[in-house]
Amino acid sequence: MNNIFAVAGLVIKELYRRKDFYVLFVLTALITLLLGSVNFFNDDRIIRYLKDVCLLLIWISTLVIAVTTTARQIPAERESRTIFPLLAKPMGRGELIVGKFLGCWAACGTALIVFYFFFGIISASKEHTISFAPYIQAIWLHWMCLGIVIAMVLLGSIVFAAPSSNATICLIVIVGIMFAGGHLNGIATGMRGFGGGVVYALYYVIPHLEWYDVRDLVVHNWGSIDWLICGGATIYAVAYVGFLLGVTWAVFKRKPMAS
Amino acid sequence: MGSVQAETYGVMIRLVILFFLVCCFTMATILDAQFSRLRAKTDTSEGMLTAIMGDSRRMFANHFFAEADAYFHSGFYPTIFDRQGNREGSHLTEEAHEHESGHDDHHEETFLGPPRDWIERFGRHFIPNVHTHLSNGNEGEILPWLRISAMLDPKRVDTYITASYWLRTSLQKPDEAEKFLREGLRANPDSYAILLELGRVYFYSKNDPRVARNIFALARDKWLKQEANGEKPEAADYEEILGELVRVDRQQGDLKAVLADLEQLVKVSHSPDTLQAEIREVQQKLAAPK
Repeated sequence: MNNIFAVAGLVIKELYRRKDFYVLFVLTALITLLLGSVNFFNDDRIIRYLKDVCLLLIWISTLVIAVTTTARQIPAERESRTIFPLLAKPMGRGELIVGKFLGCWAACGTALIVFYFFFGIISASKEHTISFAPYIQAIWLHWMCLGIVIAMVLLGSIVFAAPSSNATICLIVIVGIMFAGGHLNGIATGMRGFGGGVVYALYYVIPHLEWYDVRDLVVHNWGSIDWLICGGATIYAVAYVGFLLGVTWAVFKRKPMAS
Repeated sequence: MGSVQAETYGVMIRLVILFFLVCCFTMATILDAQFSRLRAKTDTSEGMLTAIMGDSRRMFANHFFAEADAYFHSGFYPTIFDRQGNREGSHLTEEAHEHESGHDDHHEETFLGPPRDWIERFGRHFIPNVHTHLSNGNEGEILPWLRISAMLDPKRVDTYITASYWLRTSLQKPDEAEKFLREGLRANPDSYAILLELGRVYFYSKNDPRVARNIFALARDKWLKQEANGEKPEAADYEEILGELVRVDRQQGDLKAVLADLEQLVKVSHSPDTLQAEIREVQQKLAAPK
């Protein structure tokens, strides 16, 4: 366990030493503040567009941070050959994977808290009120989603040759799932035949990341979701993370280190 | 010998520099006129957007109009996967037209059918799943998207009318509505629909029937001109313009004008019987001794 936390600690340190997070946070804040200063028809009660844009930027930024941070973890260790002393500690490959996962996940969680804190301030300053439950649920579900994303990218970093190709492929898959994942059943119904069956199978296999995107509920003040439903989504995320990390470990175990 | 060659090179370099200077001067006189013309074209935000985005800006304008509609429903809105033939028009525009023409037949069926499987059923907890409309002054939330839509496609008349409707009714901002409509009128000088809405701003919100009547009359003239040119303007709009003229004239107590408007209206109305009764009533009032 100590080994896992040591690796995770290193990843967290890496995130705050790198400039990615700071650049993305400043960009998000700058764009949001600029948009907030725009006057639409002299109505200062208009806020939802600002919340919408700010949340969209937060989602983009955190996905970019999660994917780019995770994609380079294992390839960078292999390239600089630091993976050998790491595995010689003695530390198992499974521990290394879990450590890397926990580090990336915790680093993204920290980034999320900073982003949502800014969002909360902007939102409360305009609406003059804040309901905590929907915000906490939004952060939690967002973090769960990032957990699946990180596990997916970690698997990609074992399978694909370069971090850049892994990051690109993973981003395309993630955006694709978030955009169309929930509608694959409808598409499959329209297709019929073997192709329809394949699409329907895909619908059940993919992790439904779109569940965790509750921006519309937060932007339009729909209130909080049932906590049991949130719990269900958490279990679903944990199951997927476990499965993806398991596959990553199985592939990594067979991978020769010298190449 | 060497020094003579060096001198010649020096002269040549000076000549080349002079030549380039002349070239630059000549090019400047030609290009300045070209750039001034281009600047005039791109000086307005519309010109700039056209130069950058071309015709694609219309597609984005439609998207942002749809976004306003989505906001009107607080996010309960079909995606491109749900939209297959279920929804034709925008509720936002329908709402504005229905209220003006008096019908309000809301159909409550939604684009979300029964869930097909447990994933869809579970997923519906994370999205807005109840059909609602913005109310209590929150309608202003749609305005940023309408403003952006108008910026991208100033020729889209519906954008101005819809924004003005909400500005003058729920938000009680007739001045803002007028300003926006006048912006629309500058981009669409022949639009009778914008004039109709502008007349409504003056009649219903600013309580100025005299100006409103002039605007409605101008809208009617524009409609008739377009029809004469064979442009096939909306017949329903003509009915609405005449209806507003009747209302203004009635409020002003000008029975002769009311009669003239009603006689025009009865030719295009869907309910001519009611109007015939009204015409007879006005005729009787006019014939009655004073």
